[in-house]
Amino acid sequence: MAKAFKYGRKGITGQLEQAERDLLRNLFSDIIDMLEPESAAHTDPLAALIGLDMDVRVPTDPALKRLLPDVVNAEDAESTAMALEFRQLTERSLRENKIGALRAAALNLDSDKMVLNDEQAKFWAMALNDVRLVLGERLSIRGEADADRIHQLQDWSQADDVDSYLALVYNFVSWLQEGLVQAMLLGLKDRG
Amino acid sequence: MTVSTAPDLARETHTHELSAPNVPWVLIVWNDPVNLMSYVSYVFQTYFAYSETKAAELMMQVHKSGRSAVAHGGKEKMEADAVAMHGYGLWATVQKDDMNTGS
Repeated sequence: MAKAFKYGRKGITGQLEQAERDLLRNLFSDIIDMLEPESAAHTDPLAALIGLDMDVRVPTDPALKRLLPDVVNAEDAESTAMALEFRQLTERSLRENKIGALRAAALNLDSDKMVLNDEQAKFWAMALNDVRLVLGERLSIRGEADADRIHQLQDWSQADDVDSYLALVYNFVSWLQEGLVQAMLLGLKDRG
Repeated sequence: MTVSTAPDLARETHTHELSAPNVPWVLIVWNDPVNLMSYVSYVFQTYFAYSETKAAELMMQVHKSGRSAVAHGGKEKMEADAVAMHGYGLWATVQKDDMNTGS
């Protein structure tokens, strides 16, 4: 496979095939759907202004919880209450920021040759990372051994069930993110 | 009257201790098998403006020890940093730096 992202004089450029762009568009859209808040923005204008949402609860879907983690280790009643209180203040805006990055990355997919500025590249790295976190949770990647096992699957002819298909998608997105981040790190180094 | 003032005093002392600006807090980033080492380095370099060397050291500490104290400061700053880490998809929590050790 050729490199999808490169760092050069124009900054970071990316080139993806039509099928790859379609796949990414679907993945980004799936994660956006997961992150859309279940209730509409608060009707109290002050609450809406500061993003306060008293209806927020800890997500029951472990993949969504991985995208929106607790701010403290909730190990007793006091820390659980503190984590929930903080979540009510911040979760809505965190969801909106993530959706913003995913939408921005999806917009770049409209052309087959992408030229990304620093901010667009950051949104891409964040979007790919969120896709990988969700796929990683669905594939039960809990430790390095799981990650290695998934990494072994590289051949699309091995895609004979949902899990092997997800594993191949996960490996493709990982390869894409690694190449992108290497290009971004080169860019950082270049500017010293 | 004396009966009701005693608990109030106790609560006030407790609140004071928790919100005292000189109590240091710490931002912990936890290892997870999904996040790429290069990406974690990139986040540490760009968000905290750490050098490439320092970012790599902290990233390796997360990877090898399972966690690293990547920033120290007041409670609100650490909470804001944690939300930023969550935005990047890193697994981060805040806690009181009662050991005063850090990294």
